[in-house]
Amino acid sequence: MIGYVATIVLLLLLAPILLSFIKAVKMWLLYKRPVSLLQGYRDFGKLLRKETVVSEEASAMTRIAPFWVLSPLLVALFYLPPIAKGAYYVSFVDAFTLTGLLALSTFFLMLLGLDSASSFGGMGSSREAFISALVEPAMILTIFSVSMMAGDLGIGQAGVNLAEHFPREHTASFLFAAISFFILLIAENGRIPVDNPETHLELTMVHEAMILDITGVYLALIETAASVKFVIFASLFASLFLPFGMEEAWLPAAAIFVGKLFAVALAVALIEVNTAKLRLFKVPNLLGIAIVFAFLSLITYYVLGA
Amino acid sequence: MAFLFDPLSVLFVFLILLGAVPNLFYSRGYLSHIERRWHYRIHYFAFILSMLGVVVAANGVTFLLFWELMSLTSWQLILTEPEEEGTIPAARFYFFMTHFGFVFLLLFFLIATDGDLEIGFAQMHGIVAHFAYPSLLFFFLLLGFLSKAGAVPLHVWLPYAHPAAPSPVSALMSGVMLKIAIYGMFRFFLDVLYPWPLEWGILVLVVGALSSLVGVLYALSEHDIKALLANHSIENIGIILIGFGMGMIFDTLGLGILSSFAFIAALFHTFNHMSFKSLLFMGAGSVLHETHTKNIEAYGGLIKAMPITAWTFLLAAVSISALPPTNGFLSEWMIFQSLLSSNTITDMSLKLAIPFAIFALALTGGLAIACFVKAYGITFLGLQRSANARHAHEVNPAMRLGMLAMAGVVLSLMLFAPSYIRLFDTALVSLGRVGAYDAIFPEGIWHMHSVAINGGVVSPLILLASLLAVTGLLLYAYRTLGVKERLHRTWACGYRTGPRTQYSATGFAGPIRRFFSWLYRPQEHLHKEAIPGHESKFTDSSYEVHVRPLFERSLYDSVARAANWISYWVYRLAHFEQTRYAAMIFNLTLMVLFSYRIFAHEFSWATFALESVVMLISIKVLIIGEKE
Repeated sequence: MIGYVATIVLLLLLAPILLSFIKAVKMWLLYKRPVSLLQGYRDFGKLLRKETVVSEEASAMTRIAPFWVLSPLLVALFYLPPIAKGAYYVSFVDAFTLTGLLALSTFFLMLLGLDSASSFGGMGSSREAFISALVEPAMILTIFSVSMMAGDLGIGQAGVNLAEHFPREHTASFLFAAISFFILLIAENGRIPVDNPETHLELTMVHEAMILDITGVYLALIETAASVKFVIFASLFASLFLPFGMEEAWLPAAAIFVGKLFAVALAVALIEVNTAKLRLFKVPNLLGIAIVFAFLSLITYYVLGA
Repeated sequence: MAFLFDPLSVLFVFLILLGAVPNLFYSRGYLSHIERRWHYRIHYFAFILSMLGVVVAANGVTFLLFWELMSLTSWQLILTEPEEEGTIPAARFYFFMTHFGFVFLLLFFLIATDGDLEIGFAQMHGIVAHFAYPSLLFFFLLLGFLSKAGAVPLHVWLPYAHPAAPSPVSALMSGVMLKIAIYGMFRFFLDVLYPWPLEWGILVLVVGALSSLVGVLYALSEHDIKALLANHSIENIGIILIGFGMGMIFDTLGLGILSSFAFIAALFHTFNHMSFKSLLFMGAGSVLHETHTKNIEAYGGLIKAMPITAWTFLLAAVSISALPPTNGFLSEWMIFQSLLSSNTITDMSLKLAIPFAIFALALTGGLAIACFVKAYGITFLGLQRSANARHAHEVNPAMRLGMLAMAGVVLSLMLFAPSYIRLFDTALVSLGRVGAYDAIFPEGIWHMHSVAINGGVVSPLILLASLLAVTGLLLYAYRTLGVKERLHRTWACGYRTGPRTQYSATGFAGPIRRFFSWLYRPQEHLHKEAIPGHESKFTDSSYEVHVRPLFERSLYDSVARAANWISYWVYRLAHFEQTRYAAMIFNLTLMVLFSYRIFAHEFSWATFALESVVMLISIKVLIIGEKE
């Protein structure tokens, strides 16, 4: 139980660091002076001290939605697979509930975008709705495939099963599912090539457009939500698709797990440096690839497993 | 007349009452809006009573009587405000479609009862078992019930009929009446037309998957809020049919408990859709009542003037988008689980096909979220887009009470899901199914399990409690922080934010419309008044886009054209000269003789071909004659 709580605290603490890490790696590769890894904390602290400016046009939704954007993600943190063998994990939540919680958070984020009556907000919400509608089928098919390989739909149990007996005979469908999930990780977290988190140009922004009129503590909540979402996806990828290193004692296992998280963040950073942002109407092609890989994973599983 | 009150009937009586009682309050408040009050009252109560009659009917004649009464009263209710544009064509279309289905139901009953419509359903099972062509009966039932439930391709009347009716009636029609058709499917498939071949289940599954996608896609392109909700009814009926189809498939394959699970999922979604769709229609009706327009582009910012409508609508919108921890999520979770249990099937081709249904359902879920962000965001958030929206107020107490009561029903389905599932289980057990309740809740009411091996688990109450607790903690932390707050207008790059600079519903759905343009084939009208000499600068511009459903265009219009063509020839026929009449009589005699030879005497392709040629020549020469 201590391990369980410690994991959650660890993930929460790591969340801002991981995003700063991606930014730092990108800056370093572009011959800029990298930001400190603690930049996320500094921004958070600064936002907490600032006064909040609320839009005159906005309704009560602006005051409540940021909480509803963050709380499903915080709840989802509690349901992630364990990072070490024998650690406590929540056994009564399956992958569907997890995707549902992520969708709930996105739902309120999109409403928040429409609340301030700014055309940017509507633009962001509209694009986010488009992208997340296409992410949904790929996500569910990938989950289906992984759950069959792991022999359980419960997200915690699946992580444990995969680590204990890796399905060697299904390596092909495992890889397909991993590719599909990685594309989803990029799409859901609004990274390049789907969305560029660093720009405020109306042609390109998706996530930033929705929160353009949010300041102060509300912005801190939304930014925390973005980093928690990334850490959820990264740790899901680490537990489900890099299932090794769990046999150690808690501390070394945690160290390996953190290493995996940074590896995922590094991969995201490298992709960001090496690709350009896609036009909005090219994004379905990328998500189509994810859907096709999810289908392939299922089909190879069935055909080879029979 | 004979009635029966077995668990399935009582379950649907309960459904109707859950849908109708909050509606009574709402209707009471809405009455001031209606001119022909007695016409409305008489048909409204007759409508509710006839729905109750259908679900407790014990024989064919009672069932058909109340079914027809239900159709006629709802038809009259659509005609409550006949002066409004589009009401009369919508009512005519509804009248036609509902009787199209009725004919097939009548045919089913005539065959299944052997002509004696007064025998009970149990005896019908014996007759059906000896009937040589059960597939014929299956198609009769499917056409009869699905034309009422509004599944593809018989769904076209919904987006016309539901908006034309007064809002409490739309809520009843969409929330409750469509479910009567689902009741019919449960009653006659499980009780009378059993067992099923595998193909029937697959067909129901395919129809369900198509309906869900088609419904949500057309909902996204809709600007009329009630038509949008009507399209979502098509989607949700599709989801219910996916559950029902999976139940049929599992049953044929001998997987009794999986089949019960899928049927429970379908019943649960039936109840859930009743609750949130009624609430959504009530909310839409309140908005319509205050703004006097159904056009979603004229709304905006209504959450400020109509908080109760807005927050209850939000509850229903979250629920219909299948987001946790609402009841809509729970039933969709069950349907997903039953689709995922398909990995235990041994039939490889079926196993490979079911992921496509999962894909359809997941895409539907994603698009439904997009659609309800649009419906909610454009209606209730932002700035008021028209003077009508600026002058809106909260609706009268009776309507508020109706909406709150319906929100209570939604919440009860969310909080007491285990009790409801027990009810569904009892109803299915009474129809001779395997009970699944103990497998779904093996360790108390906290955790809901899928009955498949290695299936998922969800804990609705724990989820709700943890969400509330975390939100509460965050809010508490925010309060203790004591942040200063300042109001300032939305930044719009130096310009003023105005109602016209917001995103519109058309714009919101733009990317999705563009992505699916092969399906929508939108008709776009762009009009610009450019300043002379400046191509890109304009003083005035307007953009409109209309999407006409593909099914309506291809299927229904071509039927209408064929009918026109035939009637033209009948007209020509009626104005023939006498010699041609004589020729026709000659030809008919020829045809009777030839067909007697073919059907009763002997058959060979050679004589058939010869006789056909003779017939065609004589028709061409004697009847059609020369082209004028």
